[in-house]
Amino acid sequence: MVDVSQHELVPEHTVLEEDELEDVLAEYDIDRTDLPKIKRTDPALPDEAEIGDVIEIVRDSRTTDQAVVYRLVVD
Amino acid sequence: MRNTTPKDIGSINFGLMEPEEYREMSATKIITADTYDDDGFPIDMGLMDPRLGVIDPGLECKTCGQHSGSCPGHFGHIELAAPVIHVGFTKLIRRLLRGTCRECSRLLLTEDEKEEFRQQIDQSRKLGRDVNDVTKAAIRQARKKDRCPHCGEIQYDIEHEKPTTYYEVQQVLTSEYSQRIAAAMQGGEDGERTTPDELAEETEIDLTRINEILSGSFRPRESQRKAIEKALDIDLTEEDTNKLMPSDIRDWFEAIPDEDVEALGIDAERSRPEWMILTVLPVPPVTARPSITLDNGQRSEDDLTHKLVDIIRINQRFMENREAGAPQLIIEDLWELLQYHVTTFMDNEISGTPPARHRSGRPLKTLSQRLKGKEGRFRGSLSGKRVNFSARTVISPDPTLSLNEVGVPDRVAKEMTQTMNVTERNVADARRYVSNGPEAHPGANYVRRPDGRRLKVTEKNCEELAKKIEPGWEVNRHLIDGDIVIFNRQPSLHRMSIMAHEVVVMPYKTFRLNTVVCPPYNADFDGDEMNMHALQNEEARAEARVLMRVQEQILSPRFGENIIGAIQDHISGTYLLTHDNPRFNETQALDLLRATRIDELPEPSGIDDEGEPFWTGRDVFSELLPDDLNLEFTGTVGDDVVIEDGQLLEGTIAEDEVGEFGGKIVDTITKVYGNTRARIFINEVSTLAMRAIMHFGFSIGIDDETIPEEAESRIDETIDDAYDRVEELIEAYERGELESLPGRTIDETLEMKIMQTLSRARDNAGNIAEEHFTEDNPAVVMANSGARGSMLNLTQMAGAVGQQAVRGERINRGYEDRTLSHYKPDDLSAEAHGFVENSYTSGLTPREFFFHAMGGREGLVDTAVRTSKSGYLQRRLINALSELETQYDGTVRDTSDTIVQFEFGEDGTSPVMVSSSEEGDVDVEQIADRILESEFDSEAEKEEFLGSKPEPTNLSEHADSRRIAEDVEVTSDD
Ligand SMILES: [Mg+2]
Ligand SMILES: [Zn+2]
Ligand SMILES: [Zn+2]
Repeated sequence: MVDVSQHELVPEHTVLEEDELEDVLAEYDIDRTDLPKIKRTDPALPDEAEIGDVIEIVRDSRTTDQAVVYRLVVD
Repeated sequence: MRNTTPKDIGSINFGLMEPEEYREMSATKIITADTYDDDGFPIDMGLMDPRLGVIDPGLECKTCGQHSGSCPGHFGHIELAAPVIHVGFTKLIRRLLRGTCRECSRLLLTEDEKEEFRQQIDQSRKLGRDVNDVTKAAIRQARKKDRCPHCGEIQYDIEHEKPTTYYEVQQVLTSEYSQRIAAAMQGGEDGERTTPDELAEETEIDLTRINEILSGSFRPRESQRKAIEKALDIDLTEEDTNKLMPSDIRDWFEAIPDEDVEALGIDAERSRPEWMILTVLPVPPVTARPSITLDNGQRSEDDLTHKLVDIIRINQRFMENREAGAPQLIIEDLWELLQYHVTTFMDNEISGTPPARHRSGRPLKTLSQRLKGKEGRFRGSLSGKRVNFSARTVISPDPTLSLNEVGVPDRVAKEMTQTMNVTERNVADARRYVSNGPEAHPGANYVRRPDGRRLKVTEKNCEELAKKIEPGWEVNRHLIDGDIVIFNRQPSLHRMSIMAHEVVVMPYKTFRLNTVVCPPYNADFDGDEMNMHALQNEEARAEARVLMRVQEQILSPRFGENIIGAIQDHISGTYLLTHDNPRFNETQALDLLRATRIDELPEPSGIDDEGEPFWTGRDVFSELLPDDLNLEFTGTVGDDVVIEDGQLLEGTIAEDEVGEFGGKIVDTITKVYGNTRARIFINEVSTLAMRAIMHFGFSIGIDDETIPEEAESRIDETIDDAYDRVEELIEAYERGELESLPGRTIDETLEMKIMQTLSRARDNAGNIAEEHFTEDNPAVVMANSGARGSMLNLTQMAGAVGQQAVRGERINRGYEDRTLSHYKPDDLSAEAHGFVENSYTSGLTPREFFFHAMGGREGLVDTAVRTSKSGYLQRRLINALSELETQYDGTVRDTSDTIVQFEFGEDGTSPVMVSSSEEGDVDVEQIADRILESEFDSEAEKEEFLGSKPEPTNLSEHADSRRIAEDVEVTSDD
């Protein structure tokens, strides 16, 4: 099987720790369910990600170097 | 009307209405189908009852007491003789029938299952998903149950016959069971016979019973039936359908407990399922279905009224028949008819139901039809409305206008007005406009007195009225030069399709615009029309001027480079002016620059042999550049373009330099010097280019594409050569000697090789033709500068048109095994499959012409299909994105506050400011240098600001050394 997370076009996906998550939710003043979603079956997810986890995705950006995005894992 | 306070909508709930609610909001019960009596007065409790609102001016509403215009209209109601199904809910009704018990009406799910689905619904709601997916799954699971988990009753299948009929389907013993059993016992053609003894043994049924069954005198019970079916491998059942009347369904639904309804995602408080079966029909107010009086004095009623008449008539007949004790069959027929009329009242485009028609045969436009589709209430009246102060006419070019301007015909300017609030400062102007009257151009059409009264300005009263104008009045004056208006060309595919222009009032009937704004509008002058909107308040005018003016749209948000720039002849013009760097004498140079701001020539570029001063084309062009512009890049023609301190030292100015889509110089000026400077530059380049092209003279004719006979025969040779090679390929193919390319069949290989050979032949022909064109050939100038056309066009005009293709292949369609009847079957030659060896100049043969038309047709069809497809796609995309909004915290959210992007565009930058092309990187250092340069007069001040060289102070002799020490130690309190 191909491990897509090793591909250069797949950005870094990491599971967000609970305390970091709280900071994120507080910063944007939202509930966990207001985050964009990602499917549990998405091959880019790290193996330990479970439904209900929040994933931090760090993309390279031509204009801002790095763009950070959060997604809620759903089934 | 003005004293209404604005209200804030807290929330909107959608649900079903209770019959009692219909009765409560009703102004009157409607019982007669008649509308007006013989004297023309509306009949009480008829469809035009005055309590339903007023439409005739002067009359007073019997319900609210208001006059037509302010009376909103009031609903009435019809008591239906029997319940009917609401067509809008047929699918939901079907689902509920399938998911609930026919006996106790409870949901066919155990408590545990119900709880699970309830949780899933909550989850779905939170995640913003479609709740329908969960409820569908719940119904699917409930349907699987053969028996009710609560009362144990057997459940039957529900069949739905569209639109509004439901049946219960039961599997019952067929009436011909004895024959079927007997036939099976005989055995098929090769089957074994079964004796009654054997059957009795296998089914464990008494032999006498078996005999009774076989004789047809005893109907087997279910268990016996199943045993026989199993033993003989036959089916003894038939379907028995039992129609569910709306009243049955209503009773069924009434018994569904609230908590079961809620497990299906329905709010039982607001929407009880039985309300989907109508017992009362609300009658829309007359204001929603006004009758109109025709010229001959006859009244013509609205389609809805016609439909309501039908409903009331049938309703009455139903009641009469039922009271008279009519047979069930007649009652059922009438019931169905009532259902049909109520159905078509709500939706007259139901598949499987004939639409209700007008006497003329036109289908009636009922409730659904008023709302649906492009001309419906939503898309036609709410999202898009017809507006005042708008104009539409043909457009034509005017190169003397600035790109910010639009020429407006005087007759348009006299219709479109702007409201002037008269003050002490402008009262003189206001009086002048009014005294000019409505006919003379800078005039006025209306005035409004401080007491709010509006007066029309006429030729007769204008002088009088002008004298009365005082501060505090309002004057609706004509559009004048400098007013800001919005200008638009459909299809409005991007933001630059609607831009603000400044008015220049002109004679004649067309809107005039500078040709450089054609690219953003995608406009040409072959009959295109455009729309203009005059703005009606100060806020709108300010917004348009600041945000929407053409010069603010020079950079496109699509790719972050300029979309406005020199086009077509402008490019040819600058090319001629700068390519060979020609010389101009003083008069000529001044003439070139006459329409620009330059009214004094710079130092001459040199002195010619006769001792006269001259100016070169590049120097003339340089006059338009900002004095401190520095640029160096590879230009359109392939040479280096070098601009130093606003002087074009080297290079040709053409498409990549000043063109519409990312012309380097225009782009740089816009980004570095701002929109205003860019507007001036583009205007001046276009006028300079026009003077230049007129100076040299530029025209194209058929002779420009004609090549010497010698060249033509060389082209013929090349093509003959290619034909020979194609012939060789075909022979090799027929001999079976052709080797196929990897991954291709032999046939495909042959086709590819032939195509290759022929396309090379076309290129060769083009190259031969090209040899005979000089650099100053106008077609070549246009192709090289990027003004219009390409060398391929030239090749096709002078050399050979080449292979015609349909769907990317040589032409293969037409007759059986051949393209035209002129060829032998299976002819694989070049000419039999659409190779055009002639050029457009030499002319095509009839067969070539036909193939060419085939290829051309494909192109036309493709564009037609593409535009409609992409239009629909765009509509969907825009509807999906229209509610997204960038918030003050930088996130992009939809209306329910869920985050779509954590930072606008994931980088928070404007696509207008950042070019999307890779090499268009922002040079931050250069920008910083430039700003510092302009901000500080002396080098010393700049150094001080940057802190690279701290100013010595006189506070202490040790200050300098201390400061150095501070720098080393990073820790500090502030
Ligand atoms: Mg056109
Ligand atoms: Zn009223
Ligand atoms: Zn039951």
